Amino acid sequence: MGLARRIAIVGVGETRYERRAARDLASLRCEASRAALADAGLAAAAVDGLIVPGSGYAELHELARDLGMRGQFHAASCFHSGTAVVAAPLEAALAIEGGLAHTVLCCQGVAWGSERRGNVGQPHAEMRMKAAFEIPFGWYPQVVHFAGMARRHMELYGTTEAQLGAVAVACRRHAALHDNAILATEPLELDGYLASPYLAEPFRSADCCLVNDGAGAFVMTSLERARELRADPVVVLGVGCGVVPDGEYSSLREDYLATAAVHSAPRAFAMAGIEPADVDFVALYDNFTALVIQQLEDMGFCARGEGGPFVEGGRIELGGALPVNPSGGQLAQAFVFSVNHVVETVRQLRGDAGARQVADAEVGVVTGYTGAQHATLVLGRG
Amino acid sequence: MSGVADVAERHLPDPAWSVARPFWEGCRAGELRIPRCDRCGRWVWYPAPLCPDCGGEHHVWTATAGRATLFTWVTVRRAFLPGYRAPYVTALVALAEDPRVRLATFLRDIPTRGLRAGMPVELLFETVSEHLTLPAFRCVG
Repeated sequence: MGLARRIAIVGVGETRYERRAARDLASLRCEASRAALADAGLAAAAVDGLIVPGSGYAELHELARDLGMRGQFHAASCFHSGTAVVAAPLEAALAIEGGLAHTVLCCQGVAWGSERRGNVGQPHAEMRMKAAFEIPFGWYPQVVHFAGMARRHMELYGTTEAQLGAVAVACRRHAALHDNAILATEPLELDGYLASPYLAEPFRSADCCLVNDGAGAFVMTSLERARELRADPVVVLGVGCGVVPDGEYSSLREDYLATAAVHSAPRAFAMAGIEPADVDFVALYDNFTALVIQQLEDMGFCARGEGGPFVEGGRIELGGALPVNPSGGQLAQAFVFSVNHVVETVRQLRGDAGARQVADAEVGVVTGYTGAQHATLVLGRG
Repeated sequence: MSGVADVAERHLPDPAWSVARPFWEGCRAGELRIPRCDRCGRWVWYPAPLCPDCGGEHHVWTATAGRATLFTWVTVRRAFLPGYRAPYVTALVALAEDPRVRLATFLRDIPTRGLRAGMPVELLFETVSEHLTLPAFRCVG
């Protein structure tokens, strides 16, 4: 299809991930962006496209000014929070192919560790139907929404707590191999997981993503230009977005357990001309352990209901058949709306992942998720 | 449910919000009323401007029988908002009239043998104040 293999990622950067940073979000975004540009060997003046999901109008222009961009730039955005970063290569490819930009920088940061308004459920508390019909009945915040899906999955398919735990343990083991993972020095094994107290049953704290500060960024340009910039560009083989047709309220979805990955993954795989069996590793949006299992099913790595057994026995760990979230992911490295997953996937495909390196990694898949939205990105070694 | 002393802190619905006001009026009258499209009969939940099936704009708040089945549930061990005493069981229940209508609810009378998806549940009402009554469901059978 038209946009496959047209653009590449030529630079990635991250801040330190910390539970609380001593700096504000603008500073974190700026540092990650500068690191990504330095990694690409590009000056800020080369950037003429910006995707900064979650930023307000003023923040977007302050970042451009702070980075030293002085020319005209195209500002693209469409999908929200967890989906936006993973959909960004689609936006960038459209902008680059359409002649709106040559070089697009995507930056995502969060400062929920230190700057969050209210609790993590605040955006949901501001939705009026949830404020009227869900929160007064205890159906809040996100941990409850996703624990409800996990319980339904357990009831329908016999999924077990140990299978949820297998996802948490895999991420924690991977984080232990990373020098920029918040839980790198807090090991977790299945016995300890099962012995830990419930938070919102069936979830324990190890089933939930981190709340932290940090930012990541990556630079995209045409494949031709990418090859001039570096020997190992990471090529966008395919990217797809999807939405759940029946709306934001997960409590009311007709297919309660299906994420929009059922739409985004086939699009991305078709664009890339691959099948799930061709994928060497995946970096799946992991706000909660159960969503990893749901996505493995929705994306066709296994059938509906088989995600629980699929994650057992080390299959999703480094060295297993399908390593999942080799950086430790948002459960054990940092929660930054999947930008860490993009950065890690690029490093894996360059062969720069050190102790976490997936052997012979040629094709990696990243996902982003926001309730009714989902994006799947297929990246390949240049 | 927590006593009246907790009410000042609890997140409670605004019974005056025009979109939801008939729901709370129904609860105070002892009825669980859900909007129903007067053109095609579809239950429209949550309240919406248009019927998702036929696009009808006129929906009549209609009493339901208060019977439902347990769709899923979460036992919350740490309260996430002030005014809620953990542990509590919050659930989604599917209404008998149309199982696509799911209500979030506190679940009462949890059987000692545990919960299972599909279990029957029935409606009760819990008075919070003279202005507000909340529906809840309890396990039966």
